[in-house]
Amino acid sequence: MSPILSQFFGDSAANLSVTNQILTGYASVGSTEVAVIGTVDGTYVNDAAALQLAAHVLDCVQSKPGLPIVMLVDSAGQEPNRTAEMLGLPVYFAHLLSCLQVARDAGHKLIAVATGKAIGGAFLCYGMFADSIYALDSAQLGLMPVEAMAAVTKIPVATLEELSKRMPALEFGAKPFALLGGVQEVWPADGALPDLLEKAIASATTEDNRALLGKERGGRTLAYDVRQRVLAESAK
Amino acid sequence: MSRVPYHELKARERIAAICDRGSFNEILPPPERVMSVFLPELGIPVSFDDGLIIGRASLNGSPVYLAAQVGQFVGGSVGEVHSAKLVGLIESAARDKIPFVMLIESGGVRLHEGSSGEIGIAESMRAVFACRTLGVATIAVIGSDIGAYGGMGIFSACCGSRVMTEHGRLGVSGPIVIEKWMGKQAFDSSDRALIWKTSGGKTRYLLGDADVLVDDSTDAVRAGIISLLGQPAPVTLGSVSADQQRLEARLVQFGKTTNPDDIWTASGVTDIAAASLASGGEFANSYPKKSSAQ
Repeated sequence: MSPILSQFFGDSAANLSVTNQILTGYASVGSTEVAVIGTVDGTYVNDAAALQLAAHVLDCVQSKPGLPIVMLVDSAGQEPNRTAEMLGLPVYFAHLLSCLQVARDAGHKLIAVATGKAIGGAFLCYGMFADSIYALDSAQLGLMPVEAMAAVTKIPVATLEELSKRMPALEFGAKPFALLGGVQEVWPADGALPDLLEKAIASATTEDNRALLGKERGGRTLAYDVRQRVLAESAK
Repeated sequence: MSRVPYHELKARERIAAICDRGSFNEILPPPERVMSVFLPELGIPVSFDDGLIIGRASLNGSPVYLAAQVGQFVGGSVGEVHSAKLVGLIESAARDKIPFVMLIESGGVRLHEGSSGEIGIAESMRAVFACRTLGVATIAVIGSDIGAYGGMGIFSACCGSRVMTEHGRLGVSGPIVIEKWMGKQAFDSSDRALIWKTSGGKTRYLLGDADVLVDDSTDAVRAGIISLLGQPAPVTLGSVSADQQRLEARLVQFGKTTNPDDIWTASGVTDIAAASLASGGEFANSYPKKSSAQ
């Protein structure tokens, strides 16, 4: 069992199961019972993984009404695989998101914590859909590392690194992601994680405040205002 | 009636051809110059609409909120402003209980804007599911050469329904990405037939991922959208439980094959060569849609 699970869930981590790096089960955070879904060891997420996670969300909705759902994210991305694409990988991911929406509509709070890698499609297909999203300071969050970005965009690494000092969207990691409003708060990996998680569960609301946070923190300056302008114009 | 190929048109031409004549009212049009702050820093030309055209229109007399991506501008990619316009439009649809329709043409997140576009797509997904919960129709149209990939592939699948043509493609990782990571034997990105059999509209339709498969013409796309306006597709415990069984069965049936023809054959396609050359509409007539419960 991964040490991070004991850190969050204490002895109740033993109730969780990890199959093919996919985490499911029920555990306790302090005095709060929760359902847990997640990825460990930076694994890729594929169609089978999405179904496994979705099945547990459905089990929780059916057998434990209203229980908070904690999602831990440690995944390097979606599996690049032609058979998975042929079977409809976006549809498998959207199905997982649909199950989470059913849970949200039924009153389950959804809390995500990026514990390791939280990259690209793997973060989009469940963690970034939570009511409230957190990250450990050691987590690697973002679209992709600067080197990979440079390789694809043909923009030199040095240029991107220089720009990322002013533009946190181009930087990789928990703190710059928080400046964009992508996470509510960054937690120290050696901190009192059960306390932090229990408080996060208690304070979660279904409002998506990420654009406003990004504006207030100065990392994503336009998103909130552009959205508000669209809403104002469309109301005329 | 026009028979203009949908995939050959640009975004504004598509809008003009699909909406009721003269009904499109653009929100934050190019003269407003709402545009990227990232691209100038990287020495890349900007676009005054940031590659997304949004507005209100009518289709067959019914109001819709319509978005169209501009594939010629950085591949239809999603940056901060692009996604903020999108979220605002979807939230307008939720507020006014008016269907949301999007003409997708995108490889996903705009890499030049890093995580801001990724978060923007996540916000768009929240907004789309809020519409579905409210019973507001959300329709993705996938018929361009670029298709719907990456985060926009996932976003398209989150919409309540999809109109595809034989030119449209829906996926997460594209062929070039898979070839780069897994090698040419895993996916030869120069094999056009295999690419379209893997992610193209016909295979997606046979598996039930495209609700409607139509000809590559603006009239047919328009008719396809209109047929779905009254189908909001809310997510319920019943609907997702049925989907869980359906997608598990699909994985069991086809998870071991690498040949898309196996899916076609199992779906009742007897003459694969002829079906490959059929238009979207002809294909759909030959192989009527199964009910989504199957």
